[in-house]
Amino acid sequence: MTVYETDIPGVGRKFEVELGGGERAVVVHHHDGRREVFRRADPEADSESVFDLTAVEARQLGSILTGAHFESVDTGELSVPLGDAIIEWIELAEDSPVTGRELADTNVRVETGVSVIAIQRGPDTIANPGGDVTLEPGDLLVALGTREEHEALQTLVGGSTADSGPDPDA
Amino acid sequence: MAAPDLLLQAGVVFVVLALGGGLASRFGQSVIPAYLVAGVLVGPNVPTLFGVDFVLVESREFVDLLAELGIVFLLFFIGLEFNLERLAAARDRVLGAGVVDLVVNGGVGLVLGILLGFSPIESLFLAGIVYISSSAIITKTLIDLGWIADPESEAILGVLVFEDVVVAVYLAVVAAVATSGGASAGSADLAISVGRALAVLLALVALATYGTGLLDRLFRTDSDEQLLIRVVAAAASVGGLALALGVSEAVAAFFLGAAFGGTSHAHRIERVITSERDLYAAVFFLSIGLETDPALVAGVAGPLAVLVVVTTVSKLASGYWGGRAYGLSERRSVRVAVGLVARGEFSLVIAALATRPDVALLQGEAIAALAVGYVLVMGVLGTVLMRYSGVIEGWVVSGSNGGGGASGGPAGD
Repeated sequence: MTVYETDIPGVGRKFEVELGGGERAVVVHHHDGRREVFRRADPEADSESVFDLTAVEARQLGSILTGAHFESVDTGELSVPLGDAIIEWIELAEDSPVTGRELADTNVRVETGVSVIAIQRGPDTIANPGGDVTLEPGDLLVALGTREEHEALQTLVGGSTADSGPDPDA
Repeated sequence: MAAPDLLLQAGVVFVVLALGGGLASRFGQSVIPAYLVAGVLVGPNVPTLFGVDFVLVESREFVDLLAELGIVFLLFFIGLEFNLERLAAARDRVLGAGVVDLVVNGGVGLVLGILLGFSPIESLFLAGIVYISSSAIITKTLIDLGWIADPESEAILGVLVFEDVVVAVYLAVVAAVATSGGASAGSADLAISVGRALAVLLALVALATYGTGLLDRLFRTDSDEQLLIRVVAAAASVGGLALALGVSEAVAAFFLGAAFGGTSHAHRIERVITSERDLYAAVFFLSIGLETDPALVAGVAGPLAVLVVVTTVSKLASGYWGGRAYGLSERRSVRVAVGLVARGEFSLVIAALATRPDVALLQGEAIAALAVGYVLVMGVLGTVLMRYSGVIEGWVVSGSNGGGGASGGPAGD
């Protein structure tokens, strides 16, 4: 992504941010602190004023845009690299062989190699679940392990991964 | 204490400025023509109507002082914004447009001046008046219309910066030539006068180049108030000193501004002096109006009409060419063309020089009257052309499509 910065004599500074497809966001910083935000749909189009902000408003909006104010959760990005290990989650189906059993009883770590680091049950999160937690249909097992270990988990619990992860049959 | 009369006079001055400015903003017009008209209406030259004397402003001293500060701060601010590195960086794209703008419009002004019966030096004044576009009117309209976010504004402002540099040199030379009595004086006088002007300018350029560190230290203060007072002190005393040495105070202010532009205080100075500049500049425009005799402007209506028509066309042509040279599309080049038509503050600065008592021009009054009428028309016309540029863009773009899609020139054949 390219940001173009130009001085505007007598006015202030102009920033143009490429948004893809020829579209640009244009921000004009006036010397008096005022910020105007424009949108230019394509290089030949005229910029349309989107909004006109005071310095205080611009800072507030800026902190929201950078995520300092509130960080949205993008579920597609939750797999974080931990060496070869990744975090995946799997929903227990109604007919999964592990439902109704205690976590320790399923022997999941020995069988598959993954560690179950949390269980999401409806609105509740059971973080770092103990071996005595009884698994229920609809539980979301959040597990840490390598790609192969996750596939083994998949086979063991017989459900389907909740996200658009790799097809286990592939 | 000053006489209560003086305070009342100041009140009258600012009331008419406020009324004129308010009216202009209401109609989406630039304030400069409005301030000029306001000056004419309350000045000593307005005719007595129905036995009622409209002359409200008689004391000229305080108006002259504030107007002088207006000139100084207008140019100081331009200098402050001026950045040699920035100009050098944009040189390749702006140079062509700037040179064509200068040669075409300055040339047209010079030739028209001679044809209208002015002396070569008077024609040089006229050339400056019709050449220089109004940064104040144009920049404000660019912001109002939102063009400031589009590429054409870079070309327009690039040409304006180029014009600023030219006008600094122009004012220096013209002031020196004109105050020495021009062609009528001996060539030795002329040489001394020009030489002294160049020496003062050289000193100011040296200050702008090497004085950055010193100015940085001298003007370091946490207080905006102290900064403002120091800047006004520097601008007024350097401007006054320059005048005493026979150099244009406007040029001195420009170089002083450029010297401050290199310091770390530049943006802060801009912020603290903007309102000062606007206040004094408004009085400057009004003071030009005060000096203007409407009968004199009416007397030059013929030459004025010729100037307006020819130099509007020449600005449009040079601006369009400049836009194309800058690499803009036809439609955006039309905007560059209409965006450079407005003339304003600098034409009036040159007119003020033409009427100075030490500038011995035979037809100085006529030049000033022409300039006032010219700015009145071009200030309004420039803004109107920009507002309705969509219509002209339509003509040019559809015209060129009809002519086989080629640009500008006579492509049809």
